[in-house]
Amino acid sequence: MRAIVIEDDIDIQRQIVERLKSEGFAVDSTDNGDEGLYLVQEYPADVAIVDLGLPKMSGLDVIKKIRDQANKIPILILTARGRWQDKVEGLDAGADDYLVKPFHHEEMMARIRVLIRRASGWSDSRIVCSPVSLDTATQRIYVDERELDLTAYEYKVLEYLMLHAGEVISKTMLTEHLYDDESDNDSNVIEVFIRRLRQKLDPEENLKPIETLRGRGYRFTLRRADQPQP
Amino acid sequence: MVVLAVFMVLTAIALERAVVKRALQAEEDGLQLLIYSLLAAVDRDRSGTSLTVSADRLFEPGLVTRNSGLYALLYDRNKQAIWRSESITIGFPAIEEIGLGEWKFQTIEHQATPYFRLGFAIQWPDINDQLQRYDVVAWRNAVDYFEQLNRFRQTLWAWLIITTILLLLIMYLVTRWSLLPLKKIGLEVKAIEDQEQSGFEQNYPDEIAPLTENLNILLRREQYQRQRYRNAMDDLAHSLKTPLAVLTGLGDRETMNPEQLETLRDQTERMNQIVSYQLQKATSVSDIRITKPVDLVAVIDKLVSALEKVYQEKAVKVVRELPPRMLLRMDEGDCLEIVGNLLDNAFKYGRRCINIAGRMLDDKTTSLVIDDDGDGLADSEIEQILNRGTRLDEATEGQGIGLAVVADIVQSYNIELAFSRADSGGLRVSLIFQAV
Repeated sequence: MRAIVIEDDIDIQRQIVERLKSEGFAVDSTDNGDEGLYLVQEYPADVAIVDLGLPKMSGLDVIKKIRDQANKIPILILTARGRWQDKVEGLDAGADDYLVKPFHHEEMMARIRVLIRRASGWSDSRIVCSPVSLDTATQRIYVDERELDLTAYEYKVLEYLMLHAGEVISKTMLTEHLYDDESDNDSNVIEVFIRRLRQKLDPEENLKPIETLRGRGYRFTLRRADQPQP
Repeated sequence: MVVLAVFMVLTAIALERAVVKRALQAEEDGLQLLIYSLLAAVDRDRSGTSLTVSADRLFEPGLVTRNSGLYALLYDRNKQAIWRSESITIGFPAIEEIGLGEWKFQTIEHQATPYFRLGFAIQWPDINDQLQRYDVVAWRNAVDYFEQLNRFRQTLWAWLIITTILLLLIMYLVTRWSLLPLKKIGLEVKAIEDQEQSGFEQNYPDEIAPLTENLNILLRREQYQRQRYRNAMDDLAHSLKTPLAVLTGLGDRETMNPEQLETLRDQTERMNQIVSYQLQKATSVSDIRITKPVDLVAVIDKLVSALEKVYQEKAVKVVRELPPRMLLRMDEGDCLEIVGNLLDNAFKYGRRCINIAGRMLDDKTTSLVIDDDGDGLADSEIEQILNRGTRLDEATEGQGIGLAVVADIVQSYNIELAFSRADSGGLRVSLIFQAV
């Protein structure tokens, strides 16, 4: 998962970035709206965390501009102004959820996970494509009753593929959502993760959960148990 | 206006009285003159014991023309008429006693005709040089006089009424014209109240201009102060909350020992609640004098669409039974704050359905009832909410500042707030607002 953090207070920004990274996110961060807007446009991310009280371009303007470009990235706003007027304004401008400062990082993470899931059309924290089920809250994966033991990167790849079950995901998309910096990515590494995932998910090779589309990418083939919301 | 009318009537009465008095005086003087001329023609009769008037010395033609309206009689001391002017064709009653040398002027009704009568008592020596008493009486027909007087009165009152009406009309127009700027000020004050303009914009006459200019200065200063105050509060909120956020973030790390962590969390949470509550309180407007009416229905629509976004996953069904418009005189931010906190609770604790019903109870009051289908509150808990003081630092930990803020704003606007059990078993919140 890739997150973009736009927060002008360096301490808070650092804390959020650290927390997100510790949860396996690839994170881009900035302290101003202009650069934030550029990041959102240039690097497809899964969630944007925007502080409303930014210098120069306000957070509200950043959100409006993102939405003006028909970008549907889930946006979580951070605000020091806890009045409903400010919350309504932010949500009206196009944000999906708000957090009033100060906030607990657990709460922030919970909301971010909900937003990402929701954006992919899942309404529950458990993503189920029978017989595989993945719990985004606990980060546990089961095939039927059997729990899988995945590394952090394997989990990230599987979560991304399952959130977008049925869609074709290119290697570039996967690397962008997994790594902070594009320079150290290596498409071979993705192939390695996919191969290992296939072995762990489907040791008998009768499920074939991940399909390779030559030159295009990968697709998670198992049908969603929970139909995505329209 | 009334004063003017009374003044005009009193003037007219005084004028009429003066004229009547003068006219009567003139009549009396005329008759007096007649009596003097008569006396000039008086002489002893042939017997020498009585008096007579010699016609050749009488120069008053009215006395010799029959029925001329001017009559004179001479009485002896026995009240016997010893001489009558030739003009007399009817009988006249004798005059009552008059003191010697005394003039007695009267208006008398005789045979349905008004007369002026002047009597004068004289002494005249007879042939034996004995002084004999005589009464000279002059009558004048007063019909013409009264007719003239009536004509005068009619003219006087007619003109008086016309002038009064004209004057009142002019006064009314002048008053209206001179009060026009005040009316304009009234309209502008209303526009300022409705926030359609920020000060007095029209041109006013020199007499009123200093007032509106000073009011403009006052308004600008007040708006500036209020803005500055709010900005200061806002800055304070931002600058306090950011370090608090950092502290909270620090408390979320697991590098500290659990006890320190607990203390840090508790203390930052407490600081946050106090700061939030006091700031909410400070920035709430609750000054309804210079606020634009807010439409409660629009506020609810805004909040429901925002909350439906936040609580998207719960897919709560919101049933609205609201009139097209519900205008309240309160600050929009405060209205959003009250309804936002209450609706947020309903979304949080409700399961599938929230019912929002609003209606105008009468011209002055509007009611809003929010029902959720959650677990509701026990009676004791409801009581606890209501009895809780509004000072947050006295409140038990863990209670959000939402309801404390609501209670505070509700109190400052004189809004009735009540909690009870909804038909669905959840919590019912009822609000009664004073409408515009």
